[in-house]
Amino acid sequence: MSKYSLLSQSEHAKLRVITERGAAYGDNLMYAMTFPLEFRNIESSYPIFFAKDGESGQFYPLALFGFQRDENLYLKGSHWDATYMPMMVERNPFLIGFQQSPDVENGEKRPVVSINIESPRITEIETEVKSEALFTDSGEPSEYLQKSMENLQTIHRGHEQNKAFIAVLLENDLLEGFNLDITLKDGSNNRLEGFYTINEEKLAGLQAETLGKLHEQGFLQAIYMAVASFSRVSGLIAKKNASLD
Amino acid sequence: MSKKISRLVIVGGGTAGWLSAGVIAAEHAISQNANQEHGDQQDNQFQLTLIESPDIKTIGVGEGTWPSMRTTLNKMGLSETDFIRECTASFKQGTEFSGWTTGENDNYTHPFTAPQGYNETNLAPHWQELQGRPRFDQAVSHQSVLFPDSRAPKQISTPEYAGTVNYGYHLDAAKFAEFLRKHCVDKLGVKHIKANVTAVNSAENGDIASVTTDSSGAIEGDLFIDCSGSRALLLGEHYKIPLRSKKQYLFNDTALAVQVPYSNPDDPIASCTLSTAQSAGWIWDIGLPSRRGTGHVYSSAHNSQENATAELLRYIERTAGSQAAADAEPRKINFDPGHRTEFWHKNCVAIGMSAGFIEPLEASALILVELSSNMIAEQLPANREMMDIVAKRFNDKFLYRWDRIIDFLKLHYILNRRQDQYWRDHLDPSSIPDSLQELIALWKYQGPWHRDTNHTDEMFPSASFQYVLYGMNFETNPSTTIRRSDRLGREAAVNLFQKNAKQRRELEMAMPTNRQLIEKINTYGLQKI
Repeated sequence: MSKYSLLSQSEHAKLRVITERGAAYGDNLMYAMTFPLEFRNIESSYPIFFAKDGESGQFYPLALFGFQRDENLYLKGSHWDATYMPMMVERNPFLIGFQQSPDVENGEKRPVVSINIESPRITEIETEVKSEALFTDSGEPSEYLQKSMENLQTIHRGHEQNKAFIAVLLENDLLEGFNLDITLKDGSNNRLEGFYTINEEKLAGLQAETLGKLHEQGFLQAIYMAVASFSRVSGLIAKKNASLD
Repeated sequence: MSKKISRLVIVGGGTAGWLSAGVIAAEHAISQNANQEHGDQQDNQFQLTLIESPDIKTIGVGEGTWPSMRTTLNKMGLSETDFIRECTASFKQGTEFSGWTTGENDNYTHPFTAPQGYNETNLAPHWQELQGRPRFDQAVSHQSVLFPDSRAPKQISTPEYAGTVNYGYHLDAAKFAEFLRKHCVDKLGVKHIKANVTAVNSAENGDIASVTTDSSGAIEGDLFIDCSGSRALLLGEHYKIPLRSKKQYLFNDTALAVQVPYSNPDDPIASCTLSTAQSAGWIWDIGLPSRRGTGHVYSSAHNSQENATAELLRYIERTAGSQAAADAEPRKINFDPGHRTEFWHKNCVAIGMSAGFIEPLEASALILVELSSNMIAEQLPANREMMDIVAKRFNDKFLYRWDRIIDFLKLHYILNRRQDQYWRDHLDPSSIPDSLQELIALWKYQGPWHRDTNHTDEMFPSASFQYVLYGMNFETNPSTTIRRSDRLGREAAVNLFQKNAKQRRELEMAMPTNRQLIEKINTYGLQKI
C-alpha cells in the first residue's frame, strides 16, 4: 500500500489529501517514531520509549499509543484524543527523501518531497470528509502543502538529531530493556515487550562532567523528558480499561 | 612460604596462545608499571608475557568454534560486531554430514540447539514411533530449518552474543589470532615479545626457571604455558612427555587444506560446517563471508595423496566450479592423532596442538583451548605448593576429556554401512574403545539421555549423541515393559512435535540469510543490548 513518487505540480496538480483521522487512513498505529525536537510536546500526552528498527537494528525513540499491534488508544473514530499530534503521524502521506543533483557532481544531496500515491488519504475529488488540495488553482503549493513541507524539514532534522542522541545514550549505557506487565480491570494480563527505556540508575550515577556534556549537547533535557513521560503509561492503561466497557 | 605464582609466560602466538592469554588476562588483572627486576613484591602483582616467534607461521586451520566461544569473547570484553568484521567470521549452527551412513546421498545434521523440551522430555523414543519416520534433526529441532537456505541464528536487532537459536562461529584463524593479539596487548596488558626461544633453563627442582630467547634475553616465569603447536617445545622437547597415539581408534593422519573462492560474491554462506565422507576420510567445508575453507582429512594407510587430492578437487569442482578446482593448490599437513600422556608437568602446561590433536571432526581443537585456559584462569595456583595439586586435577580432567572426545568422534564412524576398506576397518571392534562399545551396547536398549552425563561440565551432552546416533538410523529397542511414565511422556511429545513444526515455520519466515545479516552487521553493527 506504499508507492512513493516525487511530488510535482505537473503530475499531482489535482490531488487532494484527506486530513481526517481514522483507522481506515492508517492511524491505527501502536507507536510512531519521535525525536528530541518534539519531546516537550510528546511528553505532555504520550510515553516515550525506544525500540530497534527491524531493518538496521538501530535504536530510535517513539511515542507509544497502544499495547498491541494496530492498537491506538488515542484514536476514537475520527478523533485523535490528545492535544498534540506527533509529526511522524501528521506527515502522512508525505515522505522526505534525498536526491543527488544531476547537474552537480559530488554535490550535496538535496531534500525532496515524495508522496505515497497509494495512500488511502489520496483522492482526486472533494470528499465528505475533510480534505486539502495540494496546489492552488494557479498551480502554487497550497498553504497545507507548505506547512507539510516545513514539517518534513523538521522531521529531517529530527532524524539527524536522533542519530547523535542515540549514540550518546548508548555510549553512557543509558538504555535498558524492560517488560511492562499490566493487569486490566477485566483481570487479563498483558505484557509489553521489546521496548527500551532510560536506565534511571545509570542516569543518577552520571558524573558532573558527563552531565555537563549532555547538557551542552542539548540532550539532558530530552533524557529527563523521556523519564518523566513514563507516568503517561497510567493514562494509557486508563484508556485501555475504558475501551473494555 | 612457598613461592607465589605471579609471572605467567606463554610460548607460542597462534590462536591457542592468544586465546589463552585473553582468557587468563580477562580474569586476572595484569599489574600496571610492574617492575619485576627490582622485586617490587606487591601482594597482587600479576604479569602475563607471550613470546611469539617471528619466523614460525601459524598453521591457520581450526576455523570452527563451539557456542562457548560467545561467552569466551564476551568475557574478554570484545565486541561481537568487531569480531565478525575483523575475523571475517560467520555463524556456525552445527555440522551437516553427507555420505557418512551409506555413501549414497545420505544426509543428517547435528544442530547446536538441543531437541525440543530436552530438559524434561526425551523425544527420541516417540520419534521412533512416528509414521514414516521423518529425519530426526527435523522432527525434534527447529534449528535445522535454517540450514537449507543458509539462514542466520539471529536478526540485526538481536543484541551481541545473543541468538534466537544456539550458534558458534566460522572464522579466519589468522585474522582471529591477530584480533586477539591486539586486544590482549592494547586492552588487557599482555606483554608481547617477538623472539625465538633458543633454550629452556631449569631450576633446581626441575621446574622451568626461564626460557632464553634470541633477541630478548632470558624470560623468567613461575608458570609456563606451552602453546608452541605440535612441536611442543616445552612439554614435549624439554620434558619429554610422550604423545599417546590414538591412531588405532581414529585413523586419519593427513590433511590437505585449501581455500576456495565463491564463484559469485553473493553466494550463500553455509550455516553449518559441511562434512562429506570420502573413500578413506572426509572433506570439511567452512563458509566465511569472503571465501570457503575446505580440506580433506584422511588415513594415509588407506589412501594415497594422489587419490585424496583427486577426491578433494572433484569436490571443489562440484561445489565451486572447474576454475576453482584448477586453481586449487592444497597444502599438506601431517599429524599423529593423539595427545600427551600428561598436560601439566612441573610448572609447565600445554594448550592447543602441543597438548594433542586428533582430527578436525566436531571442531574439538578450539574448545579444548577454551576449556584449558578457563581452568587455568579459574584455578590459577596461588603458590608453587598448590601447583602440583592443580596440575593433578588438570591432568585428570583433560585425560577424561580426551577420552570422551575420542568416543564421540569414533561414534561418527561406527554406524556406517559403506563398503570401502577404511570404513569397514572402523567397524572392527578392536578399533573401538571399550567405553564406546559399552555405550553402544547400552543404547540398543536405552538411548542416550541425561543419565549418561557423568559430570556437570561434560563436553558432549547426551543430545549430541542422539543427533549422531539417530541421524545415522540407529535403532534403540522399545522398552521391554509397559512404563507408566510413557503415557504422560507421549502427550508431552505430541505437543513438542507440534511446537517444533510451528517454530520451524516461524523461524524460516523471520531469519535473514547469513549473508544478509553479515552485510547489515558490516553496515550498522549489532547493538550491545
